[in-house]
Amino acid sequence: MTSEVESIGAGFKPVADERREITRNVVVPRRHPGRWIAVAVLAVLVLQFGQAISVNPNFHWDVYLTYLFAPPVIRGVGWTLLLTVVAMTVAITVAGLLVVMRDSENPILRGIAYGWVWFFRGTPIYTQLLFWGLFAVLFPNLSLSIPFGPELISVETKYIVTPAIAAILGLGFNESAYLTEIFRAGFNSIDRGQAEAAQALGMKRAKIWMRILMPQAMRVIIPPTGNETIGMLKMTSLVLAIPFTLDLTFATNAISNRLYLPIPLLLVAGTWYLAITSLLMIGQYFLERHFGKGVSAHSTRVG
Amino acid sequence: MTANISEFCVEMQNIHKFYGPFHALKGVSLRVRRGEVCVAIGPSGSGKSTLLRCINQLETISAGRVLLKGELQGFVEQDGRFHPLSSGQIAAQRRLTGMVFQRFHLFPHMTALENIMEGPAHVKGWSKDQARTKANQLLERVGLGGFGGRYPEQLSGGQQQRVAIARALAMEPEVMLFDEPTSALDPELVGEVLDVIKDLARSGITMVVVTHEIGFAREVGNHLIFMDQGQIMEEGHPRSMLADPQNPRTAAFLSKVL
Repeated sequence: MTSEVESIGAGFKPVADERREITRNVVVPRRHPGRWIAVAVLAVLVLQFGQAISVNPNFHWDVYLTYLFAPPVIRGVGWTLLLTVVAMTVAITVAGLLVVMRDSENPILRGIAYGWVWFFRGTPIYTQLLFWGLFAVLFPNLSLSIPFGPELISVETKYIVTPAIAAILGLGFNESAYLTEIFRAGFNSIDRGQAEAAQALGMKRAKIWMRILMPQAMRVIIPPTGNETIGMLKMTSLVLAIPFTLDLTFATNAISNRLYLPIPLLLVAGTWYLAITSLLMIGQYFLERHFGKGVSAHSTRVG
Repeated sequence: MTANISEFCVEMQNIHKFYGPFHALKGVSLRVRRGEVCVAIGPSGSGKSTLLRCINQLETISAGRVLLKGELQGFVEQDGRFHPLSSGQIAAQRRLTGMVFQRFHLFPHMTALENIMEGPAHVKGWSKDQARTKANQLLERVGLGGFGGRYPEQLSGGQQQRVAIARALAMEPEVMLFDEPTSALDPELVGEVLDVIKDLARSGITMVVVTHEIGFAREVGNHLIFMDQGQIMEEGHPRSMLADPQNPRTAAFLSKVL
């Protein structure tokens, strides 16, 4: 490859990889005694801590093992995962729309986007979920009608806004407000010249957003969005407020209330949350690698 | 060839541009013939870049008219009033021009080849293969055959600017606009970019070039304008104007840069 490149183009001279006549300096690696001491101290502490937990009867490890893969727990894991993924999808879609609206020339669209973020970021998620739960009580019927005129269609709300839908919309809308700010930061981080270069090519607005700005903003957007996704995973335990009773925390709480043994079931729930978080982090790694194309990773480690 | 209403590729009529209270362009008129290489020089802040950006509507003019090949840009004029075009129509008008920026503005998440393919494939709607063939031809033309797989970050400034020129050419524009194309380059890289631009100039494409390279203006320009404080102070053929400037401001400027 090197020889092929060598013959083409001006201003590019590949450097020979290694020349035989050069004797490299003999470099003696620096010693790091501090690291070895730290390893020894930590090893003792970890072993002690491990022993203190594993042989401690108060942790009821037998109960932990019995319920770790119990059907209601597994069902809870499934629902929690589903709520996280669907609510996050709703949030990303809404936030994507809002961030474009905020950049719009239409003052009404800008106002709506601003108001949405103001409201959903400014009220507690628990209160919002309580209201989503009360939605069917506050509005028993959803109808499409001409204002002050005849009614066209009418449906009972409880068939549309089920607890699952209420949970998804409640979590998703709340999260969209935070994501809008993250997306905005991502798009603002791009040089203005990028959009101008695309405009100069005759690209239309939608194409510029999708092909030029979005892939570049992703680099900035993904890490905090990963945070938010993991936050959402744990926030799903609040759907109790609706009440939605199939998620992981509710399932393990129900069992522990029956057994009067809260500790092992808290450990069960904790283990599963940790497992799902690990899975999400792997996904984030690959997303970051994909959108990091064309940008060399800079290590922030000094010296 | 069909008769054209205008022999001028670019026609600017009495352009004014305000940024808030700041009067950046004060009634500039300019005509560029087909195949002409029009070079704009002048001190920083004289409005030459603004003028260039008005041609492809990156700036909205406050007064006057910009015509490309006789067609009014950005508006439809009816009963003495100006009706703005939609953003889609403006995007379509921008295909008449290609622009090269001072700081390249290559798309960093795409390889050199993908940068050049972007216009043909995603604006003109060519097939990927067609666009790739065209992009490879253009890379050869700017002396960068074999560099298509590199990301902008892996290229020198001069190479990036040559890719940017190829990207603009890929849209087959009627007019090429250069906004100080060598100002952000290390001195030893200026030559390779100027060579590509000179080559283009000789190929007969209409060009408007904002630059500080007086030598370039003399060598390939056939229409020179000197701008100062938002106005064209002097206009003429580069050789005569550079040798014998009529306006004292032109003379003062040239004495500093030559």
